Amino acid sequence: MHKYYFFFQRFLKTIFYSESRFTASMHVEALQVLLQGLCGGRQEKLKIHEICLKSGTNLGVEASEVHLLCSLSQTDPVWTVRHVGGPMRGAGAEQLPAHVRSVLESSISSNALRFFYALGYKMDYELVRIGYVFQFQRVVPITVTATMLCKVPKLHAIDEAIPVTPGIQLVELTAPASTENYSEAVGAISSFAEHLAPLIHLSKPGVPTGVVPTASTAAASLVSRGAMKVS
Amino acid sequence: MPVKWLCYWQPSGGTTVSSQVLVDLIKSIESMNGVRSGRWQVTASQHRPIRRDQAVQVECARELLGVAFSEAPNKYYFVLRPDHMVVEADSTIQSIMENLQVYRNHLTVVFEGFQYQLGDFHVKAGRAVIAHSENLRGIVLEVEYLPVSSLGKTHQLMQEFVDIWQEVAAQSMTGRIVHLEPNFGDYSLSDQYSWQHTALQYISLMVHFLSQRTN
Repeated sequence: MHKYYFFFQRFLKTIFYSESRFTASMHVEALQVLLQGLCGGRQEKLKIHEICLKSGTNLGVEASEVHLLCSLSQTDPVWTVRHVGGPMRGAGAEQLPAHVRSVLESSISSNALRFFYALGYKMDYELVRIGYVFQFQRVVPITVTATMLCKVPKLHAIDEAIPVTPGIQLVELTAPASTENYSEAVGAISSFAEHLAPLIHLSKPGVPTGVVPTASTAAASLVSRGAMKVS
Repeated sequence: MPVKWLCYWQPSGGTTVSSQVLVDLIKSIESMNGVRSGRWQVTASQHRPIRRDQAVQVECARELLGVAFSEAPNKYYFVLRPDHMVVEADSTIQSIMENLQVYRNHLTVVFEGFQYQLGDFHVKAGRAVIAHSENLRGIVLEVEYLPVSSLGKTHQLMQEFVDIWQEVAAQSMTGRIVHLEPNFGDYSLSDQYSWQHTALQYISLMVHFLSQRTN
């Protein structure tokens, strides 16, 4: 079954306040508190080494791209190969508040990179995503990730990865759907995004949004509530 | 995972393999009190790279071999022989490869037949045919020993089983059972048996059958 993923993206900007109790990462921490509250604490750390591969010269019907993802948050690395199709087009797609793209994924053994090199693929770029992921069930399974994208200074030197935009995280909401139920998934993801509205506005990739006016106040309130829970 | 040996029937000099051979081998299993427990199928494919411009060479593997097992429907395996690589993936990898459109299916061999239970052994007997044809390329026999996963520890016992089966078959047939044993170590596969071992065995058998002369 093809899965369609809805992408809501927003770069969550951190704002540095002059008051000493607010830190540069306050909005990120606030989002974490909010999401923990919404999903009952089922948060997982995320550290993924992502390698984008492009087909070599003259190989294939047309040029193609495939992504290898190595999850480093467990004891043993877990490899996945992902192929993402182009976004759904047409008047209907324009009306939707999210991008709809066909995504195919497969787990794969740890020799995946050597395999795709042997098939004639070449590495285009690699990066490391570090952050956290939450899973929700709202009509459809919804995945929320907030990650920092880090560039890798030397080939595969993932321990030396440095953030591309320090202090800024990419927030993504994705939900799987089939051709029969994607309108339900759109509704579910839009309604879920409203829960995050006090803190961030989420939109289709490529559609800019500003910082939410209430963000700072909302963040401060969430962080102090979160601190009280911990103690 | 239980150890499997993959064998094929080698007809005696001057004769070619036929469906009658399979019938006789099944009779030999039943004469050893084997109980039929179902059907099985393995599909092995040979893929070749697609070049947009035929005049220009491409730096890539010239042959990509893949195999799927009816007993493991959620998995797919690739073998690249020059690179000594076995790759394991979910069955969705086939859809990914179709979308990428970099390799095209050149030929498929279907192995299919019946399986039998004999105490701690499972035995499969079947034929290998080119897909969508009745072009018989060989007779395949698989022996599985359920209690043990170590290739080293089961070698002697498996050889004894095959020897006994050979004696029983020889009562009514000429020819012999040949054990096909790839060099698992070359492919970084360990002594503990796995589906990756099985993938390499069936791919090796497909290559063997395709290299044999047919009528």
